[in-house]
Amino acid sequence: MSELFKFILKYSAWFLFVVYMVLSAMLLFSGNPFQHHVYLSSANYVSSGVYRMSNNVGSYFSLREINEDLQRRNSDLELEIYRLNDIIRGYQHQIYADTMTVDPALDRYDFIIAQVINNSINHSHNYITIDKGELDGVRPEMGVMDQNGIVGIVNVVGPHTARLMSVLNPYQRLSCKVKGQQQVGSLVWDGKSPSEALLEELPKHARFVKGDTIVTSGYSSVFPEGVPVGTVIGGSRDREDNFFTLRVKLFTDFSTLSIVRVIDDKMKDELSEVERNLEIKEGY
Amino acid sequence: MGKTILQYSLLGIALILAQVIVFNHICLFNVAVPMVFIYLIVRLPITLSVNWVLTISFFTGLLVDIFSDTQGMNAMACTVLGFCRKPVFRLYVPREEDVTRPEPTMHTLGTAVFIKYLSTATLLYCILVFTIEAFTFFNPLQLVLRIVCSTILSTVLMLGIDSLMTPRSEKRL
Repeated sequence: MSELFKFILKYSAWFLFVVYMVLSAMLLFSGNPFQHHVYLSSANYVSSGVYRMSNNVGSYFSLREINEDLQRRNSDLELEIYRLNDIIRGYQHQIYADTMTVDPALDRYDFIIAQVINNSINHSHNYITIDKGELDGVRPEMGVMDQNGIVGIVNVVGPHTARLMSVLNPYQRLSCKVKGQQQVGSLVWDGKSPSEALLEELPKHARFVKGDTIVTSGYSSVFPEGVPVGTVIGGSRDREDNFFTLRVKLFTDFSTLSIVRVIDDKMKDELSEVERNLEIKEGY
Repeated sequence: MGKTILQYSLLGIALILAQVIVFNHICLFNVAVPMVFIYLIVRLPITLSVNWVLTISFFTGLLVDIFSDTQGMNAMACTVLGFCRKPVFRLYVPREEDVTRPEPTMHTLGTAVFIKYLSTATLLYCILVFTIEAFTFFNPLQLVLRIVCSTILSTVLMLGIDSLMTPRSEKRL
């Protein structure tokens, strides 16, 4: 027995070598790599901790590249969103044009459907930008309305866009009347609230009560007669005592404008021609 | 004695961490992988008994295996390296009495002898590791290229580590 121990001790290095080789060979050729023991893989507590720690530090080094990648990806996605939005808008316009009921009395008028792309309500003089322009048939002095009521009048026209002077702009005076009456006043914004305007210079013999509807008068080629404007919420007499001033709650919600109709009056040229001839004759 | 064990333990931890965190992720020109943790095995005192060298080698390799998910590959190669370390050393230093101190470093062995010893050990290790690895994808030219390039890169890196390990006071001697 002692001989055996002596033998083992003498060649202990060889034995140990063989033991370790067999151990590592068992690990190496243990077959299915998907069934490795969790303690002997990088998923164990210590090594995953070490990797997490080094990753905490190392992840900062590549932030610039990651950031650039994300920016690029982001801009790609944004472009995609714009493209899809454009398509959706096209369909919306189509639906809008298809489902809109047109009063036969308005046959004289054509509508150009446009999308509001810029809008303000908080300045003292507000303007609106739409995505249709000269190439789409928009001309200056055309009236613009949305599904609720009047919006403004086209003011500056570019090839693909146009700027409207909003109703919420004191430069703008629109001829309006109480629905069902004939007396005409002019609608002007007093700069106080984006949902209210004043109907000034209404002759004092006009009849009205609170809640009456105010509509356009049709005394110009800008708006046809009867486009809804708002409802009366209060009234007062002017100092001269000859005119009423009504406070009008506007139907149009200027803070959420999206799709609007530009009113194209087919008789506009004819009318202006006639009016010019009149002026010339009167000049003589 | 205790101080030496502590020093070697610290060196081992540092080398293994450096290997798994940094060097395992380097692969120059898609062929050269630096294997620096074997510096621990190379540097073990030459007077240490073979049993200890084998044990330390095996577990060092196993640790690296665990971190890099290569079960048994480094453990086997390290065991062989630990076993062959002394014969390789004998190749270049026939008589042990010539050596003043048991740790084989550039300072104790002299530059030429140490480089020869180190590169032979590294070459041996690289041959083992890459051959074991090649059981999966066998491509002789690629294998030789990997062995040679990795040996050169690892040797250079370990020479750098060795010069860092040598205290300044010893260098002046």
